[in-house]
Amino acid sequence: MLTQKIKTRLLFLVSIILITLSFLIFIYLNLKQNILYFKTPSEIFMNGPIEGNSMIRVGGMVKKDSIRQNNKEIRFTLTDYEKELIVVYSGTVPNLFSEEQGAVVEGILNDKKYLIANRILAKHDENYMPPQMKKILKENAK
Amino acid sequence: MEFFSFGNIIVYIDKFIKFINSIFFVILIIGLSFALIISPVDYLQGDSVRIMYVHVPSAWIGLSIFSLIAVSTILNFLFKIKNLFLFTKSLAPIGLLFTCLSIVTGSIWGKPTWGTWWAWDARLTSMLVLMLFYVLFILTLKYFKNNENLTKILSILSIVGIINIPIIKYSVEWWSTLHQPASIKFLGTSSIHTSMLIPLFLMLLVLLLYCALIFLMKYKTEIIKIKKQNIKRL
Amino acid sequence: MIIEFLKMGGYGFYVWSSFLVVFTFCTLLFYKTRKTLKKYEKEFAKELENLPAEHKKRIAKSSKVISSILASQNKLS
Repeated sequence: MLTQKIKTRLLFLVSIILITLSFLIFIYLNLKQNILYFKTPSEIFMNGPIEGNSMIRVGGMVKKDSIRQNNKEIRFTLTDYEKELIVVYSGTVPNLFSEEQGAVVEGILNDKKYLIANRILAKHDENYMPPQMKKILKENAK
Repeated sequence: MEFFSFGNIIVYIDKFIKFINSIFFVILIIGLSFALIISPVDYLQGDSVRIMYVHVPSAWIGLSIFSLIAVSTILNFLFKIKNLFLFTKSLAPIGLLFTCLSIVTGSIWGKPTWGTWWAWDARLTSMLVLMLFYVLFILTLKYFKNNENLTKILSILSIVGIINIPIIKYSVEWWSTLHQPASIKFLGTSSIHTSMLIPLFLMLLVLLLYCALIFLMKYKTEIIKIKKQNIKRL
Repeated sequence: MIIEFLKMGGYGFYVWSSFLVVFTFCTLLFYKTRKTLKKYEKEFAKELENLPAEHKKRIAKSSKVISSILASQNKLS
């Protein structure tokens, strides 16, 4: 069935696959940290001392009843239900940014519990439904 | 093999093109009215959820066409089946178009929901890599003569590129990304309400019919090109 | 009512521009593909014309490809 020619070609393909995979594993091991778009507040807490003024992205849920807003800045708590992080930001927030919704903040850590953000992104989940449906779900939860 | 002769293929192509032409606009209008008018708004995203009805099918088509052309390129390299080469050549541009469209519509969707046009998270970056592979693939098809080297380069691109496909698919589960996880899974229930699934699949059908139409026209062009070269020998 | 529809609850710009982008590029690719197909069909028919009459007759009968191309050429003219 398999002639010598096809065997040679197959060998060629298999060697390409092996080379690519080894490259990929190499790249993956080197970039492990960079592939993650954001860290969680717990990871920030577990990490060693904060290095200088480097930018960092932290993602989590905006804690319920934590948004305090005045005309200069907005202040809220980002949580992963284990550790919390206070975020201060001045600027406009995306439409979907609200309490009990996901958010990714980009900024500089002041200490392990306090972050000065210069960008806020909203993160939503994979659920899509009409408003009436959401209402029903909420009532059922009660 | 008689069935796959160019003569038989071209007869079926003509029939198919006629069939698609006759039903396309009806399905397009049904799909669009579901996507833009009948379907409800999302509880969180409001009307911007309608972008999903073009964004998600485009991404699916981009991914599946790449898998198709990668597999057929490898089979062509191993067994030298001429039809498979024409198949790849006719499909690649459509895949590139829909990959680009899914990136552009995703970017338009990202601005009002996430608050940014672009983020270098794993999903978006791997999708960009897919687009680069399509571009390399099409450039290779265009600038290399059709011989052993061409299929060799194409199969290298296919193998390296097809490894990227599961990375795209699972990037949202393996790593923390700004992009939300998949709503529709192979197994288990989807997290999209039925009233939104109907327009999604209708628009998928519309785009698939469109893909089939373009593919058949391109395939026919390729057959004519070959016949033209052989006209003296007929 | 129509204004409401166009506004899309404030997301009008984003929704319409994404649908428009998809529509525009799909149409462009469609016309480009059709143009190339017509071009090759025409060239093919022309070359067929230049063949000796008897040869032409024989292959037009035996080849489905050629009869298909000739059929679409006749539709055009």
